[in-house]
Amino acid sequence: MSIYLPIAELSVNIWILFGMGAAVGFLSGMFGVGGGFLMTPLLIFYNIPPAVAVATEANQIVASSFSGALAHLRKGTVDIKLGLLLLVGGIAGSTLGVYIFSALREIGQLDLIISLLYVVFLGAIGTLMTIESLRAIRKSKQNGGAVARKPGHSGFIHKLPFKVKFRKSKLVLSVIPIIMLGMLVGILAAIMGVGGGFIMVPAMIYLLRVPTNVVIGTSLFQIIFVTAFTTIIQSTTNQTVDVVLAFILMVGGVIGAQFGAAAGHKLKGEQLRALLGLLVLGVCIRLGYDLVVTPDDLFSVIAAGAEGGH
Amino acid sequence: MNRFALLALIVSMMVTAVQANEKLQMGLSVDVVPVGSDFSGQDIVVFGAIEQADQAQLYRGEYDVFIEVIGDLQEAIVRKKDRISGIWINAAAREYRDVPSFYSLHSRNPIEEVVDPSVLSSLGIGVKYLKAKPVDRGNIEEFLTQGEFSSALRRKRIESKLFAENPSSIDLISPSLFRASVSLPPNVPIGFHTVKAHLFKDGRKLDEVTHTFEVRKVGFEEWIYNLAHQQSLLYGILCVLLAIFTGWFANVIFRKN
Repeated sequence: MSIYLPIAELSVNIWILFGMGAAVGFLSGMFGVGGGFLMTPLLIFYNIPPAVAVATEANQIVASSFSGALAHLRKGTVDIKLGLLLLVGGIAGSTLGVYIFSALREIGQLDLIISLLYVVFLGAIGTLMTIESLRAIRKSKQNGGAVARKPGHSGFIHKLPFKVKFRKSKLVLSVIPIIMLGMLVGILAAIMGVGGGFIMVPAMIYLLRVPTNVVIGTSLFQIIFVTAFTTIIQSTTNQTVDVVLAFILMVGGVIGAQFGAAAGHKLKGEQLRALLGLLVLGVCIRLGYDLVVTPDDLFSVIAAGAEGGH
Repeated sequence: MNRFALLALIVSMMVTAVQANEKLQMGLSVDVVPVGSDFSGQDIVVFGAIEQADQAQLYRGEYDVFIEVIGDLQEAIVRKKDRISGIWINAAAREYRDVPSFYSLHSRNPIEEVVDPSVLSSLGIGVKYLKAKPVDRGNIEEFLTQGEFSSALRRKRIESKLFAENPSSIDLISPSLFRASVSLPPNVPIGFHTVKAHLFKDGRKLDEVTHTFEVRKVGFEEWIYNLAHQQSLLYGILCVLLAIFTGWFANVIFRKN
């Protein structure tokens, strides 16, 4: 069954999109990530214009992060104060990101920058995650049990001024790295069409030393607002949010996420991280391959609006 | 003598008038092609008649009708990738004005078998003879076969079925009545399209007639598109509210599991 997307202006198969939403939802439920880093490249492979894919994906992530954050709020695993501070940086970053996005689109380098950012970030995070989790798996085999990571100090970040106390996270932290992190993720969210959880979560664990139990809830909490804000800014600046596409993906995504979460409970934390790390690396290699291999067609055409206007 | 001369002149004028007075009439099955949520292309019918034709020639099939469907003239940017430090990057680009967003040619036989290419080229009939104005060359019209960028533009449009030639898409119902089925692909551009029918005999153009139809989003699709473009802030807020509601609803439904 095909459906016409009013903003993307093309006819697509509704079941393929629904299936993509469900598959990515399954993985995101299993690993506790938003899944934007998988969905946006998938949409682009499926011929959705990159500008529409990125903006629409932000809208879809609002739904999945809201659904996830509600569950965490109920369990009390959200540090709202920390989330709000991340959000301050996130809103600023997102605004900046959408303008960078428009400018890149204008000069025709949007696709390239999206691909490069994906390759760099997915490559770095995928490698770190895979190595770290493989090490953890090896250790737990040797010791016959899970090892708790010692909350150490990561040097200069804990020496910065403007310290604030976070009761829920049992931390005293400077606001500077928090706002900077929020801002970085906000920029990436706008340009790459992701929530940024795959950067936010490791950064909170390894850089800010936030306890693992509040990391995902807090990350989801602030992603709701950053992606909601990105959706609105993309709508007003680029008019590239396709609500029909977003809705199909949302429905597929939230259903898939439920099954994914159930599957995730059956695996150990470090096994999940190793799988996610490999998945991230796989997407990175696929996108990197396209950048270096001679394309089938060197030319691309963009129609730039009717001159008569209608 | 003078009378005879005058009479001869009148008769010859009448004969010429009769011979050169062939007219085309044309109608379309629709004025508006609605694009709704289930749009996956549509066939429209162009029908028409050759009037005041020489009956003998008509029955011998000496008249030919060609139909062009031409979309809005638009701007298009063609980019070429180049390898820069190992990575393929959009490097050179050319911008064109007055590129038809859509073009399809309909005929009974391949048009070049009937009309001399020099005539087609001067009239700009056929995918091979489409023109556009490159902005960096002072907007002077050129054929889309000149240069690699022009050719790429033409080739990409052919690949995406936006430029097409359809020989044998015109049927004759009687020697003077014709019917063409024009199939608009799912990606047919939104906007006004001109249908232009040409009447030829012996490779010479005798008449042309035009009509327009509109491809328009309707209903929900039209509403969404207009909202997104005219009240984009409200649209963005509605998108967010829809997402919040979907997320909340999923959470409620699946809470027990």
